[in-house]
Amino acid sequence: MILETSNITKHFGGLKAVSGVNLKIAPGAIHSIIGPNGAGKTTLFNLITGAIPPAAGHVVFDGNDVTGWSPERLAKVGLARTFQRTSIFKNLSVVENVALAIRSREGVSRSIWQSTASEQAIVSEAMDVLGKVGLRGRDKDKAGALAHGYQRALDIAIGLALKPKLILMDEPLAGMSRGDRETIAALITELRASLGVTIVVVEHDVAMVMRLSDRITVMQHGEVIADAPPAEIRDNEAVRKAYLHGSFAA
Amino acid sequence: MSDSLAASATLSRDMVRTTTYALVVVAALGASVPLWTGSMPFLLILASQAVIAAIVALSLDLLMGSTGLLSFGHAAWYGFGAYLTGLAAKLLTPEMLIVLPLTLVATIVLATIIGFVLVRQIGKTFAILTLALGQIMFALVFVMSGVTGGEDGLQGIPVPKAFGIPVVRPDVWYWILYGVLLAAILASFHIRRSPLGKAWLAIRENTERARFIGLDTGSLKLLSYVVSATLAALAGGLFALFNGAASSDLLNWFESGKVLMYVVLGGVGTIIGPVIGAAVFTITEHYVSSITNSWLIYFGGFFVLIVIVAPGGLFGALSSLWSRFGASRRGAAS
Repeated sequence: MILETSNITKHFGGLKAVSGVNLKIAPGAIHSIIGPNGAGKTTLFNLITGAIPPAAGHVVFDGNDVTGWSPERLAKVGLARTFQRTSIFKNLSVVENVALAIRSREGVSRSIWQSTASEQAIVSEAMDVLGKVGLRGRDKDKAGALAHGYQRALDIAIGLALKPKLILMDEPLAGMSRGDRETIAALITELRASLGVTIVVVEHDVAMVMRLSDRITVMQHGEVIADAPPAEIRDNEAVRKAYLHGSFAA
Repeated sequence: MSDSLAASATLSRDMVRTTTYALVVVAALGASVPLWTGSMPFLLILASQAVIAAIVALSLDLLMGSTGLLSFGHAAWYGFGAYLTGLAAKLLTPEMLIVLPLTLVATIVLATIIGFVLVRQIGKTFAILTLALGQIMFALVFVMSGVTGGEDGLQGIPVPKAFGIPVVRPDVWYWILYGVLLAAILASFHIRRSPLGKAWLAIRENTERARFIGLDTGSLKLLSYVVSATLAALAGGLFALFNGAASSDLLNWFESGKVLMYVVLGGVGTIIGPVIGAAVFTITEHYVSSITNSWLIYFGGFFVLIVIVAPGGLFGALSSLWSRFGASRRGAAS
């Protein structure tokens, strides 16, 4: 397994946001985490990526116990993420957004001297990454001026520039038009195929999740209620009850 | 920092071009000052004070414009540099090439210790703590009055020497100060274009995202704080040697407010803007305050006007005018 959580727990006051979650992510998989609002999906992401410390439990990534590691340290060992609300550097150019991540990965972010050749190599790699997400022609644009779908793609490109072993995407399809959703979904599939990167997705679009995923974990009230391939999840009675609004009809 | 300030801090292609022109014009104008103030030595002293103010403004812009950390107490480092340099000149040697590096090393050590605590705070908490730091430094002048001179200020700083030669002539002083300012401006531009400067901008733009791409935002902010404090202390040290005295006013919250006004007036994050803001403020302050005691009211009104009408500061407004002028010229040519 590339990522495992064991008995990971987080309480906010009396609220059990995440309670004893055991998660296993296979290398190279597209693994989705679904559940109703307030199920604890984003909190679980925050626990895995070091944004908040767990009250109990462990996170093992790529064979190392990374419990309590900071986000910056996790990024260095190949764990990247995107955010529920698009998180980019809006006043910087599109290419600079990606170049920042490359410099960080290469450990040159503190340098005050950089050769032209080195900077050109970074920009060239950034352009390649932008090409993978369909933003090559928008490299000079201010990131904040991009349409929402493109900003989402840029958010993913920033994560990819870290050359991660695993990328966690928090609601990558949120707030998108039908066309944009298809584009991002195709991008996720393509990234796994071309880069072999493991992808963990939190998403509300159950129909899309069923199509994309190799395996699905379903959460409710901070706990895992099911963990299985899409076909089994579709027929799972507990999951059906969690989704009373009939999303599973899809 | 507001979006408008953040936007003003981004050096677009147009702004880079305008900055280059502005830099050449400012450099040429500044260099010529001693040539046309020969019969008016007071003007040369006023210009020297404006240059020192510009160095302090630049130091705050390195912090505020780069990493977005708002300091309400930057005079703490300006005053610290002034007192330490003055004391070193009095007690050790008047050789400025010894006392100024001493001040810089002491500032790096102290700013690292204090900054380690400060940069872990965010937003208003950081700003309030910097204000508190300024007031603590201010109070220390009176607590340690046996060393600092207390209310009388630090008097009797000897005429400084450079390579053993006394520096007395106002025009020589001006050249020294102006040289330091130009070096600081060039260094600021170099850093801004370097990976370090870009990492600082990333922190200003989106600290959370910066962490998730692997940037150690805590140590990068600390580095920005220490660099900024060191440049402010250098300005303070130069002021003490130039002025021959240092007073507690240098550490007052009002001085911190003035430095902040230089930066906002000129244009946060634009490097050259705060230099212009400091020069305009210092020279205007002198003339307006000699006409009316209510000069602060007029300055306050002007400041509010600038923030509302030109959130990018004087530099942002000039840059915008220049871009429009360029566009209309291109339109006429085609």
